[in-house]
Amino acid sequence: MIKIKNLHKSFGDHRLFNGIGLDVARGEVVVLIGPSGSGKSTFLRCINGLETFEQGEIDVDDIALHSIDRARPSREGIEAIRQVRLRAGMVFQQFNLFPHMTVLENIIEAPVQVLGKEQGQAEQEALAFLRRINLEKKAHSRPGTLSGGEQQRAAIARALAMKPRAMLFDEPTASLDPETVGEVLSVIRDLVREEGMTTLISTHEMGFAREVADRVVVFDNGDIIEMGPPENIFTAPENERTRTFLGRILKRT
Amino acid sequence: MILFFMAAPVFRTLVVFIALLFSIVIFPVHSYAAASSTVQNIKERGVLLWGSDSEGGAPYVFPDPKDPSRLIGFELEIAEAVAARLGVKARLVQTAWDSLIPALERGDYDMAMNGLEIIAEREKRVLFSRPYYVYTLQLMVRKDETRIAGIRDLTGKTVGTLAGAVAHDLLAGIGNVDIRSYSAAWPYEDLALGRLDAVFLDTPITVYYGRPDRRLKYAGPPVGEGFYGIALRKSDGDLKKVIDSVIGDLLDSGELKRRYEKWGLWDESQAKLFTHGTRSDAGQQFRTESSDAPLYSFLPLLFRGAGITIFLSVASMAVAIALGIALAIARLYGPPAARFASTAYIEVYRGTPLLIQLFILYYGLPNVGITLSPLAAAIIGLGMNYAAYEAEVYRGGIEAVPRGQMEAALSLGMARMVALRRVVFPQAFRISLPAVTNDFIALFKDSSIVSVIAMVELTKIYGILAATTLRYFELGLVVALLYFGMSYPLSVLARRLERKLKGVK
Repeated sequence: MIKIKNLHKSFGDHRLFNGIGLDVARGEVVVLIGPSGSGKSTFLRCINGLETFEQGEIDVDDIALHSIDRARPSREGIEAIRQVRLRAGMVFQQFNLFPHMTVLENIIEAPVQVLGKEQGQAEQEALAFLRRINLEKKAHSRPGTLSGGEQQRAAIARALAMKPRAMLFDEPTASLDPETVGEVLSVIRDLVREEGMTTLISTHEMGFAREVADRVVVFDNGDIIEMGPPENIFTAPENERTRTFLGRILKRT
Repeated sequence: MILFFMAAPVFRTLVVFIALLFSIVIFPVHSYAAASSTVQNIKERGVLLWGSDSEGGAPYVFPDPKDPSRLIGFELEIAEAVAARLGVKARLVQTAWDSLIPALERGDYDMAMNGLEIIAEREKRVLFSRPYYVYTLQLMVRKDETRIAGIRDLTGKTVGTLAGAVAHDLLAGIGNVDIRSYSAAWPYEDLALGRLDAVFLDTPITVYYGRPDRRLKYAGPPVGEGFYGIALRKSDGDLKKVIDSVIGDLLDSGELKRRYEKWGLWDESQAKLFTHGTRSDAGQQFRTESSDAPLYSFLPLLFRGAGITIFLSVASMAVAIALGIALAIARLYGPPAARFASTAYIEVYRGTPLLIQLFILYYGLPNVGITLSPLAAAIIGLGMNYAAYEAEVYRGGIEAVPRGQMEAALSLGMARMVALRRVVFPQAFRISLPAVTNDFIALFKDSSIVSVIAMVELTKIYGILAATTLRYFELGLVVALLYFGMSYPLSVLARRLERKLKGVK
């Protein structure tokens, strides 16, 4: 469903991606791991157009994104990116809930403004979902009064309200205290299992990765150095750098 | 003292404010109290300082058109004669006309001379020399004017004059005249442009500024009659003796007549100078009433002024905010041409004085065919100036909103404009609010600047009343309190609004 081909991206003089690629099948759960700065976030942000790239092609469902000129994107280019975003929702490490709206308003904002959904209808659906993830009581609270875990769950609900066909999670639990990490991971787990949502997650939670991933992709320094089923990657990594990285991470847990 | 601390914060602020005001004003009052004879001081100093207004000051004292670095004028010549008698040089201390007497009292100079009419009001505060000129008042209208033949026809018309002059009182006495007060020679320009129906001023001013203008003509014969005198501090009797002697000599020798003829100012009325008459009847009634009147009798007029100030400030701020938003958006999100234009606008309007912008708007534009009314010029001028500051405040507010907000909005499929409108701007608004209130309160005070383009608001009314009654201090306090009373509620409201919006973070 998501195909990335020959992706090249630089930040100024610093070359990050040098022709990397990835294919994600419908319903597949792909987890990206790797050291900080290896490009996991950038990779995800290229998919939904928050980052531009110099060369390559990204296909999401039926939409193709070519390299978009940063200075003056064409109207078709802008619209293509918007269409991609409607198909692939994103959840951020910093939650990024809208602080001047209640949780409910956060969730219905895009469906009403973008999809033209009728307000009452959108509210019903939003409340139903909040009920499922046990956040109904906070529907009329402002994000500032919520804990980190509650905010992230609300953010997930907000992204899902747009009924995307795929979800991108950019280090969703990295800003949470250990106690609340669990509640967010369980929401993601349910999403993945029950909905069969095509999912890309970048994370440092190795246990979680092992549990939900269909495939693990290892990043290092802008390269994809290894990929495969979780058992392979975690128990018998082939690449030297993968071994080093896992050694460092797993030693701490 | 205990009561003070028990009182509500608003009241306390007020008391502290008034106390501060008093202390600032009380101190200078002592400075000139105990001095040795002024004549002695002048001789020791080697310079006779005299106060006058050379701005629009022809033929009294003004820059020589042939050599603007030099001053000339019939009053300058008299000052030089007095200085010569004392064996010193004369030096002009440039002072705005309606501040001449307060500045004299403060000790800024030894004597004030600038067409100051000898009237009871002023005689209470200063000592006058014997008169040196008999003035009359002359009405002027546009060449094609048919409705106005004399001052009796001025009811319901708009007339320009000088604030605090006897001409002003006469007009006030007619009743139902829309009086516009100026501080320089601009009234004739505005008369020609159609902003005024008539101008009523002293003959010397008329002769020099009004008569040469082909677009204007006299309406009716000269009216009223009074005397100009040189104003001195009450304690300076010795200086008065010297000045009176100089004037007497100039008269007796025929020198004064010769000089006035040179300036085109001599006429038969000047014969009265020989007989020492000093009282002017014109406007006397009005003047006495208003200067002895209790302070609260001025309140209706002051409140009217405050109302105009409020209207002006609110209207200008509305313009400033709307234009500011447009400029900020153009600068942040527009195509390169818009970005450049917006930045240029902001830099120019912030980098030039508001006063000059107003002058250009009001007196400059008629040259290209656009004649704005004082109100329009005031609102546009203030609005366009403050828009430049608002634009930067909004830009700062928008940039202060975390990037993640825009990213989240875009990720949900919102178009950029929708994301700005629904997510970024509401947050930028909350961030900008303190700065915007700040600017609004500043605007309230800056609105007093528009008095230079003949716009009558609170400060202008203060100027007129104070120049007329000479009660600068008391009226000043009242006006300051009025301004405070207008700005303070704004602060309170703004803080309340901020607190309400804080429920957000």
